[in-house]
Amino acid sequence: MNKPTISQATAVDRRKFLKVTGGFLLALTLPVATNRALADTSIPANATGTAFIRIGADESITVLVGGGEMGQGIYTGLAMGAAEELMVTWEKVKVEPLPAIASWLSAGSGGIRSRLPTFLKAGAAAREMLVSAAAQTWGVPVASCQAVNGTVKNLVTNEVLTYGQLAPLAATLPVPAAPVLTPAANYRIIGTPAARPDLVGKVNGSAKYGLDAVVPGMALGIVKHAPVMGGTLKTTPSVPSGASAVVPLGATATNPVNNAIALVSWLPGANTWGLMETMKSISSNIWNTPANAALLDSNVFKSQAMSLLGRGAPFIAEQKGNVDTAFASAARVLEMTYTLPYLPHACMEVLNCTVRMTPATAPFTACEIWAPTQAPSSVLTTVSAVTGLPKTAITVYPMFMGGGLGRKFEQDYITQAITTAMAVGRPVKLVWPRSEDMTRDQYRPMAVTRIRVALDAAGNITGWQNRHVSPSISAQRRTTPLTAHDANATEGATALPYNLPNRLIDYVQHMSPIPVGYWRSVGYSINCFAVESAIDEVALATGADPLTLRRQLLSTSTDPLAARTLAVVNAAAAAAGWETTAVPAGRARGIAVGQAFGTIVAEVAEIGVTYTGGVPTNFTVYKVACAVDCGTAVNPNSVEAQMQGGIFHGLSAAKWGELKWTAGKSSVTNFNKYRMTRLSEAPVITTTIVNSGAAMSGCGEPGVPPIAPAVANAYAKLTGVRVRDLPFFPGATMGG
Amino acid sequence: MISLNVNGQSYQVDVPSDTPLLWVLRDILHLTGTKYGCGIAVCWACTVLINGQADKSCDVTVGSAAGKTIITVEGLADFRLPSEPIGTKGMGQKLQEAWIAEQAPQCGYCQSGMLMQAAGLFLEQRHPSGGDINGAMKNVCVCGTYQRVKAAINRASTAV
Ligand code: FES
Ligand code: FES
Repeated sequence: MNKPTISQATAVDRRKFLKVTGGFLLALTLPVATNRALADTSIPANATGTAFIRIGADESITVLVGGGEMGQGIYTGLAMGAAEELMVTWEKVKVEPLPAIASWLSAGSGGIRSRLPTFLKAGAAAREMLVSAAAQTWGVPVASCQAVNGTVKNLVTNEVLTYGQLAPLAATLPVPAAPVLTPAANYRIIGTPAARPDLVGKVNGSAKYGLDAVVPGMALGIVKHAPVMGGTLKTTPSVPSGASAVVPLGATATNPVNNAIALVSWLPGANTWGLMETMKSISSNIWNTPANAALLDSNVFKSQAMSLLGRGAPFIAEQKGNVDTAFASAARVLEMTYTLPYLPHACMEVLNCTVRMTPATAPFTACEIWAPTQAPSSVLTTVSAVTGLPKTAITVYPMFMGGGLGRKFEQDYITQAITTAMAVGRPVKLVWPRSEDMTRDQYRPMAVTRIRVALDAAGNITGWQNRHVSPSISAQRRTTPLTAHDANATEGATALPYNLPNRLIDYVQHMSPIPVGYWRSVGYSINCFAVESAIDEVALATGADPLTLRRQLLSTSTDPLAARTLAVVNAAAAAAGWETTAVPAGRARGIAVGQAFGTIVAEVAEIGVTYTGGVPTNFTVYKVACAVDCGTAVNPNSVEAQMQGGIFHGLSAAKWGELKWTAGKSSVTNFNKYRMTRLSEAPVITTTIVNSGAAMSGCGEPGVPPIAPAVANAYAKLTGVRVRDLPFFPGATMGG
Repeated sequence: MISLNVNGQSYQVDVPSDTPLLWVLRDILHLTGTKYGCGIAVCWACTVLINGQADKSCDVTVGSAAGKTIITVEGLADFRLPSEPIGTKGMGQKLQEAWIAEQAPQCGYCQSGMLMQAAGLFLEQRHPSGGDINGAMKNVCVCGTYQRVKAAINRASTAV
């Protein structure tokens, strides 16, 4: 084992990558489509994206894709676009990760949606250049040549030249500014289920995740943070026996206050478990506890949030009509308060990063990083800031991610690994044990939402008021206070497609000391629970069928998304047999719909409840009928997988997901305290894809939000108990 | 020195005998297909076959695995059931093919554990029922691949 066993490593060497011998490399750069707040902050307004297509003399066709592959199938989706326009079969195309210098962020479900047009155009441009090269070779007009399955055919003589043969000449031709694109109706590949090329390595153990990086001569290290949130390092301990070095670690690249240590070993037989055991021998006296530790408590946070509900100056997020008049003249007012806890990401693969500095000790001339990251380009910026090296001296090898879920956006674990490698003078793989991953996460914000509904005498909704209190992810990352509402916090509460002419949605920032971050669908998952539960409560209170009420609110609405939302609701209801199949005895159905990142998803859950001593202690979800409109589904196979994944993720969180704080310590340190749905508890999920033909939108996250309210609505119907505080079953544990 | 037999190869390792097998596989032998999820015997990401039994390698000491037959995901392609003669397609390959046919993995991180757990199940039960599958497949998958994993096991069950 003296070679790095990283298949991606050689493929992404930037120098090799840019120099293609005997082949053809097309780099096409276009503006990137953005349409949501998170994307807007992560992608600058005038961002461009580059599609790279490489055609080798050996007939290989390679598409280079950025961002990060964490199971969402981005490698497949974008390469399908290039293959479509290149007139080759999907199987012919290979996909490689793009070097970080040209890469992008994977966030906001926008990877495929925002980049596909670039890949389509690049494929079409490459095809036209290859066709032109053939026309020149034969001395015939371009119109006499046709691209067919990796070759160009002379329609007059039936001669054929392959892409590989044509590549060298094509490479010298100008890039067409406006290549002719295939009409969507004629797509052969987009919209048909495609097999993901990354799966072979995922069933034989050869796929390399960040945690699998092996670099010759590397040391192993593990991280430990101050046990109390906000704590700092008092004294760096001496090196215990069983380890080779202890490195103090700063809170961020620019924060000189140390809040963690790395315990590193390059002794023979060094292993992660050995380091975890050795870590136990280090005294807890090395840490300072923050003065406010006692206040870092979930009960304190909750009472703060509750009191913020009633006072403070809220920021208005959305206002329509006149809410005051509506409530003043209401025949009846419903008021409901919903609460959601902090949640960890709990990716299957813990945070980790491998670093090699060249030379091993300062002054350094180069740095290589092997990391599971959703943001290769941010990693480049981080490395440059910490090492002082220019970006051209840095290589980031994006590894497969064992889940990203929004956590592998962040840079803390990258910074720590670079600091460690620079300090110990050898390559190092730095790993967060599971307990660190759980207790030093950047959590999904807790939230308190109060919804007030004004009803007239006939039970129609005449006013809608939603006050949302939660920590602001974006404000916590800046030093300046908020001056307007945080759109990420209220996404899913605003812009409802329902006919609610008098509405007021406002936001109060909760200054919580717990670090918060982007969590699969973020605000949407929080707000959809409150909104879609409240709609159901209105139906119950007015004796309306929940489906009928939603149809009414949508069919009378002038909102631009109302018609599409209605179609999705109807598709899910039909698939569930809402109006056609009786619910089996002892079960109930609940429905919810939500929009996230432009994709509309409706879910109908059919559940049954288990009682222990007359108290409901668990419920079983038998079926979920899911309908999704993402404009156009590029790879229906992946869309279906993403819906299933989103539903499981949202379901586990709704039933059991909770992380509590006591004196600055997290209640969750491992999966034994963070129960997840298992295979035996898995509902049968059907996914109906509604191809509305609207602008394409992403699918990684929108499956999550509707499941919590769908099951809460079914649960209320079945048990008469309305659950407004998630999770359903706090304190859950999980055994082997 | 402890002698290990992994995927038909023997290795000598010099670590304390109470070191979990998981970390010997990953950090010493660099057989990184076996994954670390929890390290406390809850998630089954680290599942391997030890003498024909699916077990959590984070919960088995290297000392107790010494001399036993260990199969990891890297050796899955060569794994066959006693009823499958050499020269025919073995269950390991059937599982891999079924997994791809169903497009089961998402991020893929938990899947080597899933596959090895399924291999252990087939050693016990050539045609597992829905209940057998539910009982055996305790692996945690944060991506939620369960439906396709179930379909893949059923596919492998009837594969020839
Ligand atoms: S890592 Fe062994 S059971 Fe989780
Ligand atoms: S496929 Fe990602 S955790 Fe199972």
